[in-house]
Amino acid sequence: MKDLLSILPVLLVLLSVAVSSAEQARIITKENALREDCRFFSPLKKKVRLNDLIEITSKEGDWLRAKHKGTAGCIHKSAVDEKNLDISGVSGSKSHSASGSEVALAGKGFNPQVEKTFKEKHPDLDFKAIDAIEASHPSDESIRKFISSGALNQP
Amino acid sequence: MTALRPLIASALVLVMGCASGGIGSHIQMAATTASAAHKASRPISDEEEYYIGRAVAATLISQYPLLKNKKLNDYLNQVGLAVSLHSDKPYTYAGYHFSILASTEVNAFACPGGLIFITRGMLNAVNNEEELAAVLAHEIAHISHRDGIGAIKKSRWTEALTVIGTSAAKQYGSSGVSQLVGIFEGSIDDIVKTLVVNGYSRSQEYDADKTAVAYLAKAGYDPSAMKSFLNRLASKKKEADGGMLKTHPSTTDRIDNVSDSIPSKTAETGGLKKRTDRFKSTL
Repeated sequence: MKDLLSILPVLLVLLSVAVSSAEQARIITKENALREDCRFFSPLKKKVRLNDLIEITSKEGDWLRAKHKGTAGCIHKSAVDEKNLDISGVSGSKSHSASGSEVALAGKGFNPQVEKTFKEKHPDLDFKAIDAIEASHPSDESIRKFISSGALNQP
Repeated sequence: MTALRPLIASALVLVMGCASGGIGSHIQMAATTASAAHKASRPISDEEEYYIGRAVAATLISQYPLLKNKKLNDYLNQVGLAVSLHSDKPYTYAGYHFSILASTEVNAFACPGGLIFITRGMLNAVNNEEELAAVLAHEIAHISHRDGIGAIKKSRWTEALTVIGTSAAKQYGSSGVSQLVGIFEGSIDDIVKTLVVNGYSRSQEYDADKTAVAYLAKAGYDPSAMKSFLNRLASKKKEADGGMLKTHPSTTDRIDNVSDSIPSKTAETGGLKKRTDRFKSTL
């Protein structure tokens, strides 16, 4: 029993390291934001980008309360790698945190380099038109007004 | 408690060993290899889905030219986003984008990642904003369900994972990138063939219809619009021949499938009139 008590502090330290590192999750969209409140169109507090690691503090429905470099706010769960999301303390779900190697693995596979070479092989395909489609996007405010003027449900 | 001692001691040896080298470093190496193998079996990521979707979209617009009409395009995007924000996946890697193809064919295509095309023929076939929302909701459902990605032959992704696993860096050498581009091309072909020629499976289409009805209801659109659109499509089968009728299950079967999912509550009349008015003034 004495032996066990003597190694208990070491085990507790190991456990606390595991717990603290299990609260991170990775952004999986090109860009996103931490918002003031847990709803779409809520004012932006901080922009986050692909592979940024955020610290999840709690869960509200489909939204997560999170921190990034000292700024706290809300982010929708679909913008976060749920596989790497540990919300066990909040919802009882089972997962693990984003490790450095997982973050390093992101971006491998079908990436800009593959698209660049594909474009060179297929100069007939009009990727500029696709870029233009992606660049033309209604603002949050115009979507909010459109939803409101059509008496639709705000998300 | 005595029985636990060897276990605890072993755990400590492992932890200490990992930190100081020796046996620990071997164990760590084995664990890393096992972890890498586990990661190597990962699914296609949202970022990869985005690059696949862009190439699928570029291939589609080489067959169906784009219709350039800013007013119509803005309206289409507003309707689509009003629905997508209520979907299971409101955020994709680079968001949802809706565009019109200058074709009389009655059709719509969902490219992986969030690029959605609808033909001018389909815009002529829908009767009001509710029906347009129903068509877009069906395509958004295909994206949420990752049906496009599912059309890629499994062997291609297995092969891609081998290439990905053997490269330490994000930048590939000429051989690696050439292999990956070959697999990428094959994946694009698989998806385009499914979208344009073969269609998804019946169950995927039925699921997309049911999910679309749920999205419509959540967004505040009249979910019965899905059924009314399919009914009219069935009655105009001759005019709408080819296009989506070629790649989708029979319209009558789709109506049967979706009928039970439509809630009895219909959209509030004032809102419906406002939406129908703006639809008419735009189209």
